[in-house]
Amino acid sequence: MKWTTSDIDMYLKAKEYVDTAIIPLIPLDWEKDQKGAVSKGEFSSILIEEMEKQFKGRLFQLPPFTYLISEHNESKIARLKEWDRHFFDNGFKHIIYVTCDGDWKRVEQQIPDLLIWVPALPLENLDPGYAKEMITGQMKQLLPLITDKWQSEPKERNS
Amino acid sequence: MSEKEHKVSRRQFLTYTLTGVGGFMAAGMLMPMARFALDPALQAGGDTDFIRVTSVDDLTEEPQRFNFTIEQEDAWYTSDVDRVAWVYREGDEIVALSPVCTHLGCTVNWEGNEDYPEQFYCPCHFGRFEKDGTNVPNTPPTRPLDVYEMEIRDGDLYLGRTVQR
Repeated sequence: MKWTTSDIDMYLKAKEYVDTAIIPLIPLDWEKDQKGAVSKGEFSSILIEEMEKQFKGRLFQLPPFTYLISEHNESKIARLKEWDRHFFDNGFKHIIYVTCDGDWKRVEQQIPDLLIWVPALPLENLDPGYAKEMITGQMKQLLPLITDKWQSEPKERNS
Repeated sequence: MSEKEHKVSRRQFLTYTLTGVGGFMAAGMLMPMARFALDPALQAGGDTDFIRVTSVDDLTEEPQRFNFTIEQEDAWYTSDVDRVAWVYREGDEIVALSPVCTHLGCTVNWEGNEDYPEQFYCPCHFGRFEKDGTNVPNTPPTRPLDVYEMEIRDGDLYLGRTVQR
């Protein structure tokens, strides 16, 4: 489900079935590598769009968590933990963070729930048909990560 | 004739006429505005064209997944939307099912779970459907999978809208 009023109506009627939130982690940078930042954001939105389509009835796609790439890790993580706490306490047993920003991989231990990091691919240079095929291929590998997570217990949050 | 015999006084007559004429003038101005604002929403959205999906010869008794793209007109804008259909043939009959789970809209897969061969399986809440799309009782979905409207022209399969059963 998406961040729209029609989907929220559906969510309110079927709350007990929707136990997973998906949050994109999108870096911002207008100083050096604008295109790099944009391509990371674009690629992760494409993936998330596909995940949402596949698992519409159990997955809620939340607006992205955005940050300047210059923001320090401690402050980013502190903010992210606040988001996590808020959504975990209010009905989402599983929270999945999807990003193309490799910096998160380095601090994965400190991320409260599942992190899916995928390096961004330069889809712009590809023929649209081929690009779609590539995304489908990626999805085949990513979707089991989510279904496996559903088989497991929700991750414990300390404190 | 005295003034009293008139059922409508001169003043009333003028009031009525002016209100009437004024009303028409106002309506004349407002109607196009209202139409202009609402028009895209009023246009029949359902009249999507049939899209060629595959050649009939390629169909098997085993449901196969086909992707195709339609142009969808939402209230305010047009966009290309990817659609998926599970298509199989049974004798002379062709069946094209929508993959959208009738429970909460996830995408179902043919034989998506090893434990349930010959069924469509929804990974979200374990909903199941028979090959013909009928929902399996005691799983979350409450109605069968939707079917696509279809046409066959020159040995090719064309799909249109989905229809609830």
